[in-house]
Amino acid sequence: MTAVTQRSRLQLEPIVTGAAVAALVVLIVLPLGFLLWGSVANDSGFTLGYFVRALSQRLYLQALTNSLILGCWTALLSVAIGVPLAWVVSRTDLPGKSFVRLTASMAYLSPPFLIAIAYVNLFSPNAGLVNAFVRDVLGYPALTFNVFSMAGLVLVTVPHTFPFVYILAVGALQSVDASYEESAQILGAGTLRTAFAITLPLVAPAILSGTLIAFVNAIALFGSQAIIGMPGRVFTLPTRIYALFTYPPQYGLASALSLIFVAITVTALYLQRAYLAKRSYVTLGGKGVRPRLVELGGLRWLLLGFCILVFVVTILLPYATLVAVSFSKSWGLAFWQNLTLANYRFVLFDYDVTQRAILNSLFLAAAAASIAVAIGAIVAWIDLRTTMIGRRFLDYVSLVPLGLPGIVMAVALIQFWLAMPVALYGTLTILLLAYVARYIPLGVRSAGASLRQIDRSLEESARILGASWGFTMREITLPLIRPGLFAGWMLVFVPAIQELSASILLFSSSSITLAVAIYNLHETGHLEPVAALALLNMAIIGAAILLASRLGRARHGVQEGVTS
Amino acid sequence: MAAISINGLSKRYGMGKTVLAAVKDFSIEIADGEFVTLLGPSGCGKSTTLRLVAGYVRPDGGSIRVGDRLLSSPDSVVPPEARGMGMVFQNYAVWPHKSVAENVVFGLRVQKVSRGEAQRRVERILDIVGLAGLGGRFPNELSGGQQQRVALARSLVVEPTILLLDEPLSNLDAKLREHMRAELKALQRRTGITFVYVTHDQAEALALSDRIAVMHRGVLQQYGAPREIYAKPANRIVADFMGLVNLLPATIAAVNGGSARVAASGFHLDLALPPGLAAGDAAEIAIRPESIRFVAPGGSAGVAAQVAEQTYLGNLSEYRLVLAGGETLRVQAPAAADHPVGATVAIAVDAAQCNLFPKAAPDSRNPNLHQGQAT
Repeated sequence: MTAVTQRSRLQLEPIVTGAAVAALVVLIVLPLGFLLWGSVANDSGFTLGYFVRALSQRLYLQALTNSLILGCWTALLSVAIGVPLAWVVSRTDLPGKSFVRLTASMAYLSPPFLIAIAYVNLFSPNAGLVNAFVRDVLGYPALTFNVFSMAGLVLVTVPHTFPFVYILAVGALQSVDASYEESAQILGAGTLRTAFAITLPLVAPAILSGTLIAFVNAIALFGSQAIIGMPGRVFTLPTRIYALFTYPPQYGLASALSLIFVAITVTALYLQRAYLAKRSYVTLGGKGVRPRLVELGGLRWLLLGFCILVFVVTILLPYATLVAVSFSKSWGLAFWQNLTLANYRFVLFDYDVTQRAILNSLFLAAAAASIAVAIGAIVAWIDLRTTMIGRRFLDYVSLVPLGLPGIVMAVALIQFWLAMPVALYGTLTILLLAYVARYIPLGVRSAGASLRQIDRSLEESARILGASWGFTMREITLPLIRPGLFAGWMLVFVPAIQELSASILLFSSSSITLAVAIYNLHETGHLEPVAALALLNMAIIGAAILLASRLGRARHGVQEGVTS
Repeated sequence: MAAISINGLSKRYGMGKTVLAAVKDFSIEIADGEFVTLLGPSGCGKSTTLRLVAGYVRPDGGSIRVGDRLLSSPDSVVPPEARGMGMVFQNYAVWPHKSVAENVVFGLRVQKVSRGEAQRRVERILDIVGLAGLGGRFPNELSGGQQQRVALARSLVVEPTILLLDEPLSNLDAKLREHMRAELKALQRRTGITFVYVTHDQAEALALSDRIAVMHRGVLQQYGAPREIYAKPANRIVADFMGLVNLLPATIAAVNGGSARVAASGFHLDLALPPGLAAGDAAEIAIRPESIRFVAPGGSAGVAAQVAEQTYLGNLSEYRLVLAGGETLRVQAPAAADHPVGATVAIAVDAAQCNLFPKAAPDSRNPNLHQGQAT
């Protein structure tokens, strides 16, 4: 249809599609190109020296190893938590299923660095409340737990990653029709045998896919790795890259390290794709799926206990801690004796960064969501509705950011924009570029999913009635995909308003965001105001989500975010 | 003028080694006000041809003209919105977010017809298609047949000179389909709009069309009036597609001018000789089941056969007969005559209704075209 021309007046279609293509080039292709170039070029020309250093110096090898260890443990524990929760929700008569669903949603929506900060308050070696209690009151110093360790890092990361496994497993388990299992039973297989011979193989691809997504997300989180890892000297790839930007910044080494990081992420995502594409039996189910519910009997109390434990560790303990810390003058065993509102007064009125940060974050998240969805809609439309040459390539490019951890995106943008004659570094604009680039895949996915639901004949019948491209878009296409676009907007807005991994390298005092403000305040060691600010942050996120879900019908926030 | 002239049209899909020719060197002339059907099995290129006419697809070769105006060629394609045609899609493509009236008025809004005038025309066309009073409904409140009417009304309200219809009746149940078929025909006569209609249903094509273009694997097989297509198929593909047909192996015994004396399994028939065949050649006779009749046994005209199967269909009976040489024949006869399974009967063939074709080379035989498969 793009080939259709022969009219003299100004055409809207080539302008709009051209703008989207140009945006992808500026946002993704060029920064990545500069990142690649920066990793192999120094003042005297081509060099492999940065890669050699990154892959031979103990400092960097240690970071690489730590990232892999963190990813593997987190993925493993995500399965251990996510699969049982998914099973009880979709296949059993466990009471309180909505409570389990709520736990998973809240765990996904909580900013990971908030969980980390909360656990620092409980388990830092000296001031941690639990440690102090065990050591000073119970008198067992050997039983204290140092959160500034790999174990601590895994502990604070899993709450954010198990929902990925959970939601994919729920989807798979719910789409396995009971008739598959009943056919095995009528042939003589017992419950256990049926579970292992029929059910498990059917849902295994989805679980594996969720595990790999959990892995990728776990190693990319800058916030928790900085808050927990750096004090404990557990350096990972993101924190090492971050450290390379302290003066004098070592761009070449940072670029090489970033690319190694990307290689790991892309490999994992490739495996995930391949697995899901080859063996997604469960999507064949189609209509009339009737999952079978297992009667748990006495086992239910054990499983309910497990669910409550997950809720306590991932939600209750962190939030209760933050609330308690935020109201105390001085965090410690006797905190309730000196409760105060001073921390809130400080972060809301005295700390001059807060208000600026809130406004910046709201603006950035809203603008990034709008732009990412707009570009996503056009890219998806080009891919699905035109015969433009290279449209598949365009689609791939738009998905590339999935493989780029936030900090890598920041490194690439810095490399690119420092070489440009425009001074963007430290402005809100470069943060906006980073956010849009990071979340374009979510925009493309949401728009693409909606567009696929709409038969192209709906658009074609408008064209044959004489409607131009623009008129057809406005009257037919956009109204029909609006719910999908709105869901996509929410999908971008929620992670964007708590973005830290890319922001940490790109912010300046004027363009500071809420997440960066919290991180910086934490770095200065003020536990109590940090907690207040963190809860304020959660309140803003919660209010935004509530408002948005009132405005539109954004139902599948968690679900679609995971499968992206 | 809404005469359509399609010349040497071709369209290929895919690239590299997997090129698929959807339409090959397709040429037909469609007169103003004519009802022409593109007929063929799925994948024969009929829908691609229609989409080429609509301007959704750019041809790789050839041209499409309406009157004197060149609409499509490999170099330039007038976009659908500038063609002034209407199109009804197989799935109706009624916009779910617009009410019936909003759907129908769309084309008038594009043409910037004044509000009052548009409203009058919408009401009139809804009345014509039998949806008077339903303008405020939304598509999900309508039955399939009603949605079909909305799609029709939406296309007709802008008074196109050409209406394209892509299997518009295939999603309706049998009774409604027959009803809509009659309405479509009446509508076309009344409006004088040129209809280009795509279907895989030969009965539909025969009932509706002024002319039928039979397509197979992207190639036009025959273009002619329904009677001509049915009675005088140009080749065995057309013969097979247009209803049930028996293909009986035969030999050309003698040639006399334009006619041939043909021998096949005891039959001796005088048939028109197709070009390229000479005395002594192997050939095939296409015999429709209804052009075989039972005759009194022992007469000189009859050929003996045995009843292998009888299926009672109410208004007629269908038989499977086995000839002396082992060939089977399907025969349709009035139900009154009852020949039980196992009986020996005598049959005769009306030579005027048979057609002679060259024997198909074994490798070019389409498995779908074997005798007795065209149910």
